[in-house]
Formats: sequence, C-alpha cells, structure tokens
Amino acid sequence: MARRQDLMKGNIDTLLLCLVNQRPMYGYQIMKELEGRSQGYFRFKEGTLYPALHRLEKMGLVEGRWEALSGGRQRRYYHIRKKGQAALADKTAEWQDFFTAMNLIFRPVNP
Amino acid sequence: MATELDRYLRDIRENLRLDPGEQDEVLTELEAHAEDRLEEMKEAGLSEEEAVQRCVGLLGSARVVARQIYEAHSQGTWKQALLASMPHLIFAGLFALKWWGSGWLPVAMCPVVATAVFSWGRGRPSWLFPWLGYALLPVVIAGLLLLYLPTGWAWSTILLYVPLVLWLLSYITIKAIKKDWLYIGLMLLPVPSFVGWFLAAQQDAGFAGFSLGTLNHYALWIGLTSLVLAVSAAVFVRLRKRWLKTTVLVVSGLLTLGMVAVASGRLSFPVFLALAILFLISLSVPALLEHRLRHSRQPLTP
Repeated sequence: MARRQDLMKGNIDTLLLCLVNQRPMYGYQIMKELEGRSQGYFRFKEGTLYPALHRLEKMGLVEGRWEALSGGRQRRYYHIRKKGQAALADKTAEWQDFFTAMNLIFRPVNP
Repeated sequence: MATELDRYLRDIRENLRLDPGEQDEVLTELEAHAEDRLEEMKEAGLSEEEAVQRCVGLLGSARVVARQIYEAHSQGTWKQALLASMPHLIFAGLFALKWWGSGWLPVAMCPVVATAVFSWGRGRPSWLFPWLGYALLPVVIAGLLLLYLPTGWAWSTILLYVPLVLWLLSYITIKAIKKDWLYIGLMLLPVPSFVGWFLAAQQDAGFAGFSLGTLNHYALWIGLTSLVLAVSAAVFVRLRKRWLKTTVLVVSGLLTLGMVAVASGRLSFPVFLALAILFLISLSVPALLEHRLRHSRQPLTP
C-alpha cells in the first residue's frame, strides 16, 4: 500500500492534468473519477487532493473558476490551460517511453 | 453543519497562514467537498453523525492538509523575491558607496517608507516586511537622538516618545503575527547586525563623539552584510517549507552578526552571545504570541 502511495505521489500531476484535460472538473468529481476509473486503485486522503490542484494552479497549468449552484452553493471547476496541455503531452510521452521500456525488459528473451 | 466538521475546518483555517481572501476560497472549496461527501454517505444510509465522522477521516489530518496547501501557496515569484531583497540592496548600496553619512539617507528612506506604508494598506504581501523593518529605522534613530537633548528635555520627550513607539510596534507586531509570525523575523532580520555595527562604531568613537558618519569606517562590511540579508530575504520568499524559511532567518541573523564580530573585532564574546540570544528570543516571542492568539480565539464558524 505504501509503495502504491509513492507511485501515486510521483504521478498525481499527470493524473490530474489528464482528467481536467478531458473536461473541467471540481475536486470531489476528480476524486470520484480517479477512484472509479482505476477501479479503486487510486484511493487517497481526500484533503491531499487540493494541495496538488493548487500547486498546479500556481504553476499556471490549470485555472480554478468558481461556479454558483442553486441554493447558494459554489464549486470550483478546474480548467486546463495551454501550458498544462503542453506539460501533459510531455508527461504522457515520458510515461509511454517508460512503459515501453519496462515491457521490453519484462518480455522473455528468445534463446 | 455538524460540529466535528466545523472543528476540522477551523483547524485548517488556523494552520493555513494565507491571505484572508485565499484562505476563504480554500475553506469554501473544502466545505463544498465535505457537503458532497456527506450527501453521498447519507444517501447510502449513514446517520449524520456517522457520515461526519467518516467524512473527516477521509479528508485526512487537518494539520497535514493545511501544511500542504500552505506549501502550494507559500512560494513567492522571482519578482516578489527581488522586491523583498530591494531595501537591503538599497542599504548595501548606501554603505558600499559610503553615502550613509552624507545626506543620502533621507533620500533613500523616502521610497522605503512610502513603499512600506503603501503595501501595508494593500494586503501586506510577504515582500513588504523587509521594507517595513527599514521604514522603522527613523523611529529608532529619532529615539537615539533624544539621548542628546538637554537633560530636562530628554526625559520629558522620552516619556512621550517611548509609549508612542511601543504602541506603534505592538500594532505592527500583532497585525503581522495574525498573518504569520515568520514575517516578524523577516522584518527584524537586519536588527542584530545593525545593533552590532552601532556598538562597534560607538566603541571606536566613544559615546560623545559618535555620529552616523562613524559607521562609514565599516562601510564595505556593512554593505556586505546587507547583501547577505538581501540574498536571505529572496531565498525566504522563494522557499515553500516553513522549517526551511525559519532556518534561513536564524542562519542569516547569526551569520551577519558573526560577520560584525569578525570584521570589527569590537564585539567581545559575551556581547556577541547576548545579541545572538536576543535575536533568537525576538524570533521565538512572535511564534509564542501567535500560538497564544490562535488558542485564545473563540471557535470560528468557517
């Protein structure tokens, strides 16, 4: 479990950028998507999602915008920015190279 | 909303140390998250009490969340780092060019005081505090000059002046502590080395022969200590973690004081030690005051 948390920590930016690139989302929605789409693999302390989102916002990769709901409630939707899309493209390419290299190593060698 | 969640959000607020506007946004966002989670849990059949307990558990430690959010926000830009180092650079220039005692001090003080007053009224950004430290310099110098008034005048003026200065310092300190006690340390950073230089220069000239121009004897070294302070202020603004910011303040305060002792050769070890201890106390007192202020407040509804 601790190893999974470490893996998650190293890739949280890519995961968040990937999700908000598909459509603008708010924190709770992002957490549900991560949990649901990974079939429960990506589960973490929910409060720690916001520091990661705020860090991405400070880096200029995403932008948070408040949207009012009925009943006076508000939600903060995160939108990806151009810089965020470029960073996601870099990270995706990096991840795919890594994944390919790992597969090449795992594959049994023909004698 | 349930008390346990109120307490959780209050704990976050007390440990965030962000600007009020940013702080409110963070809490509104976390509150919205908690409301969504509670709604889902209640729909799944949990009681209000169970749902709140589980919701708080899922959010994770309030202190950890607050610290991580603080670290996401606490890093200033390079522009802010440069702004924080500017007053130190101005004073480094004054001394390096030996302009300290030749009428340039009031000229340099005008933008310093104007920037400090202007930024104080506009949200008190982190880079303001070094400016504020120097802006209080005329207050200190005026206090020192009072010692040179004729005997009868000196006492009556001091009796008026001291309470006024104490009120001003308390007002600034409390306002700064409400933001973050570390800013008091950033504001007081030049004090140990400046007091050290004054003591060294006064030993050179004697009490009666001392004037601001006497400091020109150590001009290059004072310029160098101001340069160290400028770098420290910039590093402070750029760092994210609080313990690193605190370390920068302690190290640069002691380092510049050490530079005074070595360069002047006028500070005996007991005097150096006393100044170092006073500096460390002046850093610890705001931290303790902040702790007391936070714990003496009534429970807040976020």
